[in-house]
Amino acid sequence: MTTAPVEIREPEIFEDTTSDRPWMVIVWNDPVNLMTYVVYVFQKLFGYSRAKATKLMRQVHEEGRAVVADGSREKCEADVARLHAHGLWATMEHDA
Amino acid sequence: MSPRWRRFRVGPDGGLIMSLAPQELEVLRGLPDELRAVFDAPAEDAGAVRLFPPAYLDPEEDEAEEMWKAMVHPDLLRQRLDALELVVGALARATPNKEWREIALTPDDVQAWLGVLNDTRLVLGTRLGVTEDEPDIDPTSPDAAAFNVYYWLTHLQGELIDALLG
Repeated sequence: MTTAPVEIREPEIFEDTTSDRPWMVIVWNDPVNLMTYVVYVFQKLFGYSRAKATKLMRQVHEEGRAVVADGSREKCEADVARLHAHGLWATMEHDA
Repeated sequence: MSPRWRRFRVGPDGGLIMSLAPQELEVLRGLPDELRAVFDAPAEDAGAVRLFPPAYLDPEEDEAEEMWKAMVHPDLLRQRLDALELVVGALARATPNKEWREIALTPDDVQAWLGVLNDTRLVLGTRLGVTEDEPDIDPTSPDAAAFNVYYWLTHLQGELIDALLG
């Protein structure tokens, strides 16, 4: 029997950081969209409760932006398009 | 005491009945052409940029932005044109009831109105450079009429959302 240490090889994982890192959908504050409208759109598009939609709207209003959704590039691109269809100023970026 | 007047009442089949003064109806009838002008404007037009903004801010994603835009822009434009058509159709069927003009809106009409009112405000607000603070409007300003329309549309859209949120 050998007592020689066994070298455990870590499996090598090649991470494609550009495609695997999650994306975030950001909604930016703007002076035109009504607060009640923004709440309504968050509820309609994402199925959020009135409380959660209101909290996100407040964050947009007070901090200038809020993350309203996240996920794959494809999902976020679709979410941004739906937000634009409703006139909200939305962009997407990589999770920091 | 009479019951409080409401611009939007619950209509049949989950829709709403909207009441407008004749002069309000006239203002609304002028709006579709304003939006169509923006849809036909060059992509760099300020109103067009506001209605169809970029998805990516990172310049490294320029290629993804181009692909995304090519994929979604026709759909976004189609949705806006369809909504505009519903609103124009609704404006055409306004019927007098005493001093008011009434329009029965289906749930689809209601969504179209919400979008068209918002788009019109985005375009007007961008053109006028509105801020979050409502200013006193200088009646001698060449923009006075546009400001009045903008703030009236804000009020109208607010009433519609209140009716929807209940």
